[in-house]
Amino acid sequence: METDLLIIGGGPAGLHAALTADRAGARVVVADESFSLGGQLRQQTQWLSNLPGQYGYGKKRGTWVNEQLINQVGASNVQVLKKHTMIGSYLNGNIGVSDGDKTFEIQSRKNIIAPGAQEEAKVFPGWTLPGVMTAGAAQILINREKVLPGKRAVMVGSNDFSLEVARQLNSCGITVEAIVEEKNQIICSDGELVKTLENVPVYTNSTIEIVTGAGEVEHVVIQTPDGLKEVNVDLVCIANGFSPILEPFEIMNCHFVYQKELGGWLAAYNIHLQTTNPSCYIAGNAAGITDFGSILLTGEIAALSALEAMGFISSAEGTEQKSRCWRELANLESEKVLQARTEMLADYHQKHELDLPDYFMKIKGGKMYG
Amino acid sequence: MVKRMMNNVFDVIVIGSGVIGSSIAYHLSESKNHEILLIDKDFPLSGTSGSTQAWVWVHSKVPSWYGELSMFSAELYPFLEKKIGDVEYKRTGGIAPFFNKAEREKAWRLVEQQAEVGIDIEVLTRDEVLEKEPSLSSHVAGATFSKLDGNVNPFRLVELYVKAAKRNGVQCSFYNQVIDIEKSGDIFRLETYKGVFRAKKVILAGGPWSKDLGSMLGVEMPVKQVRGQILVTEPLQPFLKYTIGGIRQADNGEVLIGYSKEEVGYDRRSTLDVIQQTAKMATDFVPALAKANVVRTFSGIRVMPKDGFPIIGEIPNMDGAYVAVMHSGITLSPLVGTLMTELLTDGETSIDLTRYSLARFEGV
Amino acid sequence: MDKSTIVCRCEEINVDEIETAMKNGAETFDDIKRLTRCGMGPCQSKTCLNPVREIIAEYTGKPLADIRISRMRMPLKLVRMSALTNGSEGGNVASVFGESVEDGETNDE
Repeated sequence: METDLLIIGGGPAGLHAALTADRAGARVVVADESFSLGGQLRQQTQWLSNLPGQYGYGKKRGTWVNEQLINQVGASNVQVLKKHTMIGSYLNGNIGVSDGDKTFEIQSRKNIIAPGAQEEAKVFPGWTLPGVMTAGAAQILINREKVLPGKRAVMVGSNDFSLEVARQLNSCGITVEAIVEEKNQIICSDGELVKTLENVPVYTNSTIEIVTGAGEVEHVVIQTPDGLKEVNVDLVCIANGFSPILEPFEIMNCHFVYQKELGGWLAAYNIHLQTTNPSCYIAGNAAGITDFGSILLTGEIAALSALEAMGFISSAEGTEQKSRCWRELANLESEKVLQARTEMLADYHQKHELDLPDYFMKIKGGKMYG
Repeated sequence: MVKRMMNNVFDVIVIGSGVIGSSIAYHLSESKNHEILLIDKDFPLSGTSGSTQAWVWVHSKVPSWYGELSMFSAELYPFLEKKIGDVEYKRTGGIAPFFNKAEREKAWRLVEQQAEVGIDIEVLTRDEVLEKEPSLSSHVAGATFSKLDGNVNPFRLVELYVKAAKRNGVQCSFYNQVIDIEKSGDIFRLETYKGVFRAKKVILAGGPWSKDLGSMLGVEMPVKQVRGQILVTEPLQPFLKYTIGGIRQADNGEVLIGYSKEEVGYDRRSTLDVIQQTAKMATDFVPALAKANVVRTFSGIRVMPKDGFPIIGEIPNMDGAYVAVMHSGITLSPLVGTLMTELLTDGETSIDLTRYSLARFEGV
Repeated sequence: MDKSTIVCRCEEINVDEIETAMKNGAETFDDIKRLTRCGMGPCQSKTCLNPVREIIAEYTGKPLADIRISRMRMPLKLVRMSALTNGSEGGNVASVFGESVEDGETNDE
């Protein structure tokens, strides 16, 4: 199989990148391991507020954005390979994908790798018992599979995502018995969301001591500053944060960098979202854990860079469009993540002796970091 | 601990803690007569010895004198296990299948050659092969078979060599690269990341890095680097009884498959090209493997002396400097450790090593 | 935390086994992997990589930024052997028997 642009991952970043490239006339193939497109957007039933202009800025449900993306891709020339997993790469640098029956090479001029993020496990005695799962897994069960993972739950972690999932569990009739946070206060920055959970006991400065049960979760012991607290539940959700997926980038021989606020280790990239492998661009949560609006924009920037490199758009147009995307991203993205991202970019450009474009310095009235 | 060792003078410094270096350090430490330092730029098993299928393979090694060396080493494994502990050595017997009748002629030639040194090989008919190992392809034309072949757990082997060496007083310095070696008078001075070490004798056991070590002593090591890629399946019910040329089933049920060779320098990446070819070989040999899942692949950089045979012994014109570098280090490690100990202790060996001397190469 | 707590669920490796490997000089995830099989199972360390890195950081007192990740390898997901052979051509893979008679070199020992 041969194409101009191969996109690994059909989540929001990959699909948005695909649409951008398709509009410019490039031949695009999107490979996704799942049987349906959309990635983690598929079960985000909540309202997303910080979306880019082309999604109308206003509040939209994640599932609505997902439908828009999938419909647009369906109406485009983008070739979609569902149930195709990137397995590895060939000696010539091309990516190999498998559909379970065969494995084949896709000859592409450029690649965008947008595999997303994974949820981090948390190790405590009993974490391997059935009934302990990540918050994201519980969310998939209720929103995608329409299955209740339990009746009474403990949520471990209090970030934006975990409280959103706690709220969704609650609204499905699952009683959230406790929220356990090892820090001294709730992490979630969304006051309204916190308010919806005001009846749930929150234990700060606390950790899970042990989870027990006969073959499945029955009993949780929480270590709190006031001593041990015991609850009887059948579901323990772990929200220990996300980390960028690394494996496909190692296979493509990309270098890694550590940036705590972006989720830990991730493939290093420049302002064009290009990794140290010049034929591979990065997009989405793999490029740093962030919100859905920024995820879409990184897909667009990566696509614009690839289009520019392949000659589908002029350098002037690429610069203009990317300048717009970065400006928009700087306005949407949380200050902490944006700071980490721009610091990483500045380091990268310094280390590789690459100039930063003027627009990068001017974003946010020159308030860029690094 | 490293600080304490600094400026210490050792009797022997072994550079490289792969299967060869750690075997030498262990065997040399058995008499407890030497102050020994085992030094490595990384950690045991981070290089070639940790990325191998770990056959202990004898029967198809030719010429017969090389087969004989491999056989002597394989014979030492049961005794080695008594001394250092369970390294999961299994003398399964080895099958090297062939797929056309013309190769039967070659098989009989191999039998004749190896008989000269006492390596007992059978040539099996198709039916005999399939009776021994029913999972082999019915397309097989025959096979050579020997009871001498087997395999070992390389992780356990190197770990237990190092542990036993430490028990005997060997000092270890890992994550410590040797930067330079100088000889002044009778003493070698090793400059390393973690300070200076001195020794009366130094043994280069750097495997694929032997060229770098040799050049520190002004010696051109006639070796090349060869990449081998290996596939590992999910654990399967035990179904392969023998070590098959290219395929073996480990104790935990995983099947290890690989027989590739590429000269690509020190590049340990896997490539789908070779992985797919290797999978093809696996299913050609053992059709039932088609249904197995591949869990991981790995690749190791093997060292290969230019003529294919081990380089063992003193470095010519450099008193006190020794080298032990070879392909098939897993098979040969018990014997090489033993012979190097004899050489350093008595100045002579029970098996003549002239043939394996570095001096055989022109220009050395 | 209780030292018997499982960290690598695929291979059932606990905290104690990981710390023992470090007592024996292991410094990286891959060192620990080769000594204990931690991370060698079906998930190929996707789950235990960061928990193990945290244990290393705690044990050594180093910041997490200094604790390396493991080497990651193909296949990125479990893949059936038959799915790999489809489309493959012969090449670099030799037969042991064929080679023994040619030049005495063998591989993978």
